[in-house]
Amino acid sequence: MRAYQARASCKVRSSVAVSGQSAERGLALQVEGLRVSYGPKLAVDGVSIDINEGEIFGLLGPNGAGKTSTLSAIEGLVKPDAGSIRIGDVDARANPSAAKARMGVQLQSTSFQANLTVREIVRLYAGLYGVPVTRAGIDDQLANVHLGEEASKRFSQLSGGQQKRVSLLIATIQSPPLVLLDEPTAGLDPQARRQLWDRIERLRDIGRSILLTTHSMEEAQAVCHRVAIIDNGKLITVDTPAGLIEKHKADPRVLKVAHGQVTLEDVFIGLTGSDLRD
Amino acid sequence: MSSQPSPPPIHSPTPSAILRSLLQADLTVQLRTGRALLLTFFPPVAVLYGLSAGKRRAQLGGPVVDVALALTLGIALIAILGYTASVARDREMGVFQRLRVTPAPTWTIMVSRLAVQIVSMLAMSVVVLVAAAIIVNVTLDPAAYLRTLLAVIFSSAVFLGVGQALVGLIKSSDTVNAVGRLSFLPLVALGLFAHSAIFGTTFETISRWSPGGAVATLLAGAMQPATWSGDTWLAFLESIVYAVVFAGIGIRWFQWSAH
Repeated sequence: MRAYQARASCKVRSSVAVSGQSAERGLALQVEGLRVSYGPKLAVDGVSIDINEGEIFGLLGPNGAGKTSTLSAIEGLVKPDAGSIRIGDVDARANPSAAKARMGVQLQSTSFQANLTVREIVRLYAGLYGVPVTRAGIDDQLANVHLGEEASKRFSQLSGGQQKRVSLLIATIQSPPLVLLDEPTAGLDPQARRQLWDRIERLRDIGRSILLTTHSMEEAQAVCHRVAIIDNGKLITVDTPAGLIEKHKADPRVLKVAHGQVTLEDVFIGLTGSDLRD
Repeated sequence: MSSQPSPPPIHSPTPSAILRSLLQADLTVQLRTGRALLLTFFPPVAVLYGLSAGKRRAQLGGPVVDVALALTLGIALIAILGYTASVARDREMGVFQRLRVTPAPTWTIMVSRLAVQIVSMLAMSVVVLVAAAIIVNVTLDPAAYLRTLLAVIFSSAVFLGVGQALVGLIKSSDTVNAVGRLSFLPLVALGLFAHSAIFGTTFETISRWSPGGAVATLLAGAMQPATWSGDTWLAFLESIVYAVVFAGIGIRWFQWSAH
């Protein structure tokens, strides 16, 4: 386990508030009362999240819990029924273009134009964010993520880990204050996963705020300052990974599924149930 | 948490800069797609050659109508097969969703796609007009060439509207491709007989009222202004109606994600 879980001096403002300590730094993301529905199905039900500058915030939940719907609403891909979303000081619902300029996004399954090379993809997205780039500059950026030799390859020719690195590079191409990562390490082997964790930590080190969704308790404990568990569209609990274990270790539902010392996974399964989801 | 300073302020790019980047990328994709290039140039020239060599050539309307029919076929192929295939495929792969999370307004994404198709149609038209001069000895004065190219741009709205309606009403890329091929017969091939009584006057009338027939009539009129008549004006109005109706359907029901 990495050392971040002890850093708990974050302001928590969610529907399940944990501590009321006010943050000295500004908020990178402020979501309040978010509701998203698809026809009759309510996917996100009154979710509120605050993420501080320089914080890595993990959103954990079973399949269909509302993680991706929450992210999609923040990203502007789905229109919320209710709620407010602020990216820094920008109201994302009133000014989506300015909000999108301030966030980088890695979607769960990213695909780029099939016939473009990696270099051309980077040039395209730099242009979309208004970032001036040269060929040499792009090649330097690709070399920094160990993709220098793949610059002329097409995206579909890259391995899963390489594709994720391209996606993360593009998600941060305009140095956004907020980065949204939807299951960034899904499908990666342990080596590629560790490499991606290192890159996420480097983003944190240069002051970026990160909201990531994951199914991996190991990942949540390794990289997240705070973690929220979401199920049936509602936030159940929010705290540091260690704080969640401490808070719920005596919960009968958690004790029922624990094998020995209570882990974050026990807390997760105890609170969300053992039934299989979609 | 980090004690690093906040990142530098971020400025939203201008729509024109966004459009430039999208156009550059979409044009690159178009040039690299072998099937798109084949669809763009080969079939219209082949049809022009086939019509010029056919025994019933005069019955289809003469050399200028042959050129108009070849242009109509080329425009329809690019719009109904090429455009729909690329939009349906990219939607299914999530390319549009990735673009939509950038500051690019959604209209720039679609305008870029359409603009590249229109450029392809103009390139195809130049090739067909050059082939027309060589194969069927149809040469026009400079003003007529310009009018023809403008008519091609106008006519593109009809078939791009049809293509947009297809991808608006159908999500699956396989189904879009299949329906695109099936719809070719009533929408385009029927238009081949817009200036021919070879199957009787009733069929000729039906053919003239088809999207392909309206476009072919309009293009023939643009190439030969002396023959511009009430029928050409009617074709012009038909084209506007077809473009508005099909594009309206396509825009109203279009979804950026196939999932």
